[in-house]
Amino acid sequence: MVRVTGNFQSESPLHPKAFEVLHAAFDNGWADPGKLSQSASKANQVKNQALESIAESLGVAVDAIFAFPSIALGYFLGIQGLYENSLTLVHGATDRKDVHAIASPLSHQVLPCALDGKLITPGQKMSSSVLALQVANAETGVIQEISEVIRGIGPKKVFLDATTSGIRTKIGEQYSTAIFDSSSWYGPAEIGLLIINEPAKWSNPLPHLNAAHPNFGVSLPLLLASAVALENFSSEVTEADARARTFNAQLRESFALIPDVDIAGSLDSSMAHLLSVSFMNCNGEELLRGIQSDGFSVDSGSACTADNLQPSHVLAAMGVLTHGNIRITIHPETTQAEIDGLISSVKKNVERLRS
Amino acid sequence: MIEIDARGLRCPQPIIELGKHISTLSSGEQITLYSDDPATEPDLNAWSRMTGNKFLKISSDEFLVTKN
Repeated sequence: MVRVTGNFQSESPLHPKAFEVLHAAFDNGWADPGKLSQSASKANQVKNQALESIAESLGVAVDAIFAFPSIALGYFLGIQGLYENSLTLVHGATDRKDVHAIASPLSHQVLPCALDGKLITPGQKMSSSVLALQVANAETGVIQEISEVIRGIGPKKVFLDATTSGIRTKIGEQYSTAIFDSSSWYGPAEIGLLIINEPAKWSNPLPHLNAAHPNFGVSLPLLLASAVALENFSSEVTEADARARTFNAQLRESFALIPDVDIAGSLDSSMAHLLSVSFMNCNGEELLRGIQSDGFSVDSGSACTADNLQPSHVLAAMGVLTHGNIRITIHPETTQAEIDGLISSVKKNVERLRS
Repeated sequence: MIEIDARGLRCPQPIIELGKHISTLSSGEQITLYSDDPATEPDLNAWSRMTGNKFLKISSDEFLVTKN
């Protein structure tokens, strides 16, 4: 068995502070915050403190935040809660599959994108629309010009997908709902935050007794761990991004020297910690396995690595080579030695697969 | 004209087969590529941009490729 010495997959360990809190919280055995006992009262207090801390870090009002226990559910709440039958749902070709799935039965229009991953808006405004807009793409890291796209479409309501961008990119004020993924700041996976910025434009799309609020809660220890991870990562993100940008530039410069390479998007308009690169005439699965055998774990968007044998819809929409693809996530703990090792491994394996 | 029947082959094999044969052609000569792999069409878009060769989709599994 090969020991993985460099993790460049999208999944990452919990923030160390969140890990500590999670253990302590489970040890304390939090009660249901809805009950009247003393421990329930304390649990409710902790829950409110966690939400206040998250609100402060995200720069939003605490009564606009609702935690939810599944990212796919968050897309449904955020988009479907804005939709009306008289409106068209407009979204990008590079959006997450969850968005495509929600749009499928609705009146919808898909915005194409250019080779650089930026969405192309139609010539005319679409005032009778809900715009679902991804702030940054999870595969390529490409960041959209939020204000420009919103101005180009002129929608009635706006949903922002900030699940990848997290606190790395400001989302502004021009939105009706937005969702964040706790794992983007190294909090627990599958804990999300729905921000209802324009409550008058949103209605709970699930069976409910109160149309103004989502009617479920999340695990208190996980919410608390998410708040602690966010609070700590907020003070670390600038330094982490600067390091990631340096490493990302090194990877791009090294890969660009390999013949027949296709790098998705430019570093200037992408998240610093993400990179997607394709090598012509290489099998993605074999490339991934070769790199893995050298001790580095990466992701891939190639069809040969997908269960359904479909290529990445993101790369296909951009017109980027879909085979021989690897996706690299640079984490705060990534080292220079790991970057150097990954570059050597990729060069070696691409050369081997092409020979 | 060369015909490559890559039906049943999965990515990146159709593009690799195409690359092998097109290197033997002169500018303007053509190859018909048959491929039912869902990755072939998006890959041909990127491949033609990167190599300068052109392609025309004839049907869902037939592509006419012209050497640059």
